[in-house]
Amino acid sequence: MEHMGIEPGRLQFSWISSAESTKFVEVVTQVTAAIKALGPNSNFAKKMAEVA
Amino acid sequence: MKMITINKSEWADGLQKAAQAYRLFGPVKEKEFHSFKRLQDGVLPDLACLNTRLSPKHLIYPQSEVMFDYTLDESRADHHILKEAARDDSPQAVVGIRPCDAKAFVLVRMNFDTPEYQDPYWIRAYEATTLVGLGCAAPCSSCFCTTAGCGPYHEEGLDVLLADAGNHYLAKVLTEKGAKFVAAAGWKTAAEPQAADRTIAALKQASESKITSFVQTDNLRSTETTDLHNAAFWEEVSFSCINCGTCTFSCPTCWCFDIQDENRGKAGVRMKNWDSCMYPLFTLHGTGHNPRGTKLHRVRQRFMHKLKYFVDKYDRGIHCVGCGRCVRLCPVNIDIRRVCNMMNNFAASGAACAIE
Amino acid sequence: MLSYTEKIREIAGRLLQSGAVEMVIGFRAGTVPMMNEPHFAKTPADVQKLVWDSHCGINLANYLTDRKEKIGVLAKGCDSRNIVTHIIENKIKREQLVIIGVPCKGMVDKRKIAMKAETEITEVIEAETTITAKGHGFSKTFEKKDVLQHNCSLCIHRNPVIHDEMVAPPVVEQQGVDRYADVRSIAAMTPEQRWKYFEDLLAPCIRCYACRNACPLCYCPTCFVDESRPQWVGKSLDPSDVRTFHFLRAYHCAGRCTDCGACERACPVGINMRTFTKKLEQDCLDLFGWEVGLDPEVRPPLDVYRPQDPNDFIK
Ligand code: SF4
Ligand code: SF4
Ligand code: SF4
Ligand code: SF4
Repeated sequence: MEHMGIEPGRLQFSWISSAESTKFVEVVTQVTAAIKALGPNSNFAKKMAEVA
Repeated sequence: MKMITINKSEWADGLQKAAQAYRLFGPVKEKEFHSFKRLQDGVLPDLACLNTRLSPKHLIYPQSEVMFDYTLDESRADHHILKEAARDDSPQAVVGIRPCDAKAFVLVRMNFDTPEYQDPYWIRAYEATTLVGLGCAAPCSSCFCTTAGCGPYHEEGLDVLLADAGNHYLAKVLTEKGAKFVAAAGWKTAAEPQAADRTIAALKQASESKITSFVQTDNLRSTETTDLHNAAFWEEVSFSCINCGTCTFSCPTCWCFDIQDENRGKAGVRMKNWDSCMYPLFTLHGTGHNPRGTKLHRVRQRFMHKLKYFVDKYDRGIHCVGCGRCVRLCPVNIDIRRVCNMMNNFAASGAACAIE
Repeated sequence: MLSYTEKIREIAGRLLQSGAVEMVIGFRAGTVPMMNEPHFAKTPADVQKLVWDSHCGINLANYLTDRKEKIGVLAKGCDSRNIVTHIIENKIKREQLVIIGVPCKGMVDKRKIAMKAETEITEVIEAETTITAKGHGFSKTFEKKDVLQHNCSLCIHRNPVIHDEMVAPPVVEQQGVDRYADVRSIAAMTPEQRWKYFEDLLAPCIRCYACRNACPLCYCPTCFVDESRPQWVGKSLDPSDVRTFHFLRAYHCAGRCTDCGACERACPVGINMRTFTKKLEQDCLDLFGWEVGLDPEVRPPLDVYRPQDPNDFIK
């Protein structure tokens, strides 16, 4: 995805066990903060269908 | 019918004038290939182009076209109303279209403009369009227009036919629309009609003699539909096909479309998109059944439609103008000329007994 | 490679006659210059139509998918690797096949030749290392190596990796090829430039799906772009839909693509969509040491878990 121009950091992966509630909260907080910092995604957002 | 001489020195100037009244389109080279594009800011159509890679059908019948739109946003006065999408039907002219592509619009019209049904989108775009064609001086080796009901100087479908006569073009004004365009361009030097006719006839003959590829269509009508349908050769013909639909998308006469809805948030559109009989989805029923479930069915459908059903239904020849695009673009070299001749000579070859 | 034709006919005739196979899949001479058509031979007359030259680029593994007969199939290096992949993915059984290996010297890119020609090409004459294109009033001779398909110029597996017969002794493989220069040039761009690069790349796409259909890997009964319940992508020429098709298709080919070039070859508007698959190919090589389709006994990396699989991307 980054290779084709999605900003670094917009796509993130985590492995969280169902028992790791604290880690879950931490990760969600971090990810939301990181994504908010990147701003709204303009690249893959489809507007109303563009037709030729 | 008026004949006009356009000195090549008046060409660019005339187009510039016409551009005030028309949206102009013409063949333009981009990277490797030519395609029909809007001619902006004095760009001239590249008339040296052999023909464009894809046909100009999209100028009247876009690949994707929004028909309706709606909004559910109650702060808007027109909420909850499906209304026709805004569109531009102001006059447009296609300069440098080839006779085969112009004739193709005549064939497509038989489908979109009938006594029972009229497709308002297609018709309005068609009516807004003036086709200023250029006779082909150098047909490609894969063009077979002369045996496909067309030809390098064929006039049917054109509003103006241009013939390149060296330092000037001869313009044969064929319709009212054509006359308006020529007037808008300010070309008015009348040509001596008989001499002009002779010149065009000579150019036409010279060009037609360069056509090297032909199809035979004389037996198609008299051959039994079911015999052709059941012919054993379809397995061999369809084997290499990958069902990509390139042939139908590039074809100026293919007219099939699909209707799709798309929405986002509170607003949405209904649009039509080109479709192709080469795709399995084309005939997939809601039940999951697909009457054309294999590529043999689909390949057969394409050729039977173009070369048999159409011939029988309209009695106006084949549903093909011989532009050769599908021949040049098919990634696996399935050649309509070969298939047409196989179909045409089927009964004669005695293969009719070889029904599965 | 021209001398292959006779040998191919001999092998095909023999296999059909002995009943070892029911059909032999190869090529017959095309009706336009620089094109041959995939063709199946069942009779001696069909066998005489089989030909071989530098225009046999279509990947014949694509014609094997889910077939039930016993088949003899011609296989260049890349085809043979796709046959291996087909065997691994249960799209054909090894026992059904007699693989007729064709040591390859690269296939010619007809667009490269057409671009360098002054007018329409009406005839092409091939010699061992050169190819001459002729048209109205011109004739030009090219070194084949200058007009190969891009993927062929980078190919390091020209000899079939699996075969029952060979039409000629193996060719010398290319050494020291820089296979990923293109990927690096994109990697050097900023995210914005990359986005723009792919936008421009895909702008001419008409969504005919010839690239997908020419690909032996794309055999899903219903492709995700054709699904309607749910519908994953829109059907118009909207750039985000077009890109979704392309990058997802590339992902579906990750660790499976042999870089045979069938997709590029098929595209009617000349899009180099290998730009997507090359990146994934390189990743598979760098991360898993994986080169696809070399051995029917080895499961592909995206198919199996290995403790040493890289996982730094997971936080
Ligand atoms: S272009 Fe050729 S391969 Fe593609 S659908 Fe048409 S006939 Fe089949
Ligand atoms: S069927 Fe082929 S040759 Fe005939 S009009 Fe269509 S694209 Fe042209
Ligand atoms: S990719 Fe390799 S094996 Fe395949 S056609 Fe090109 S050179 Fe031959
Ligand atoms: S073959 Fe070319 S035009 Fe067709 S879908 Fe693929 S990239 Fe688009």
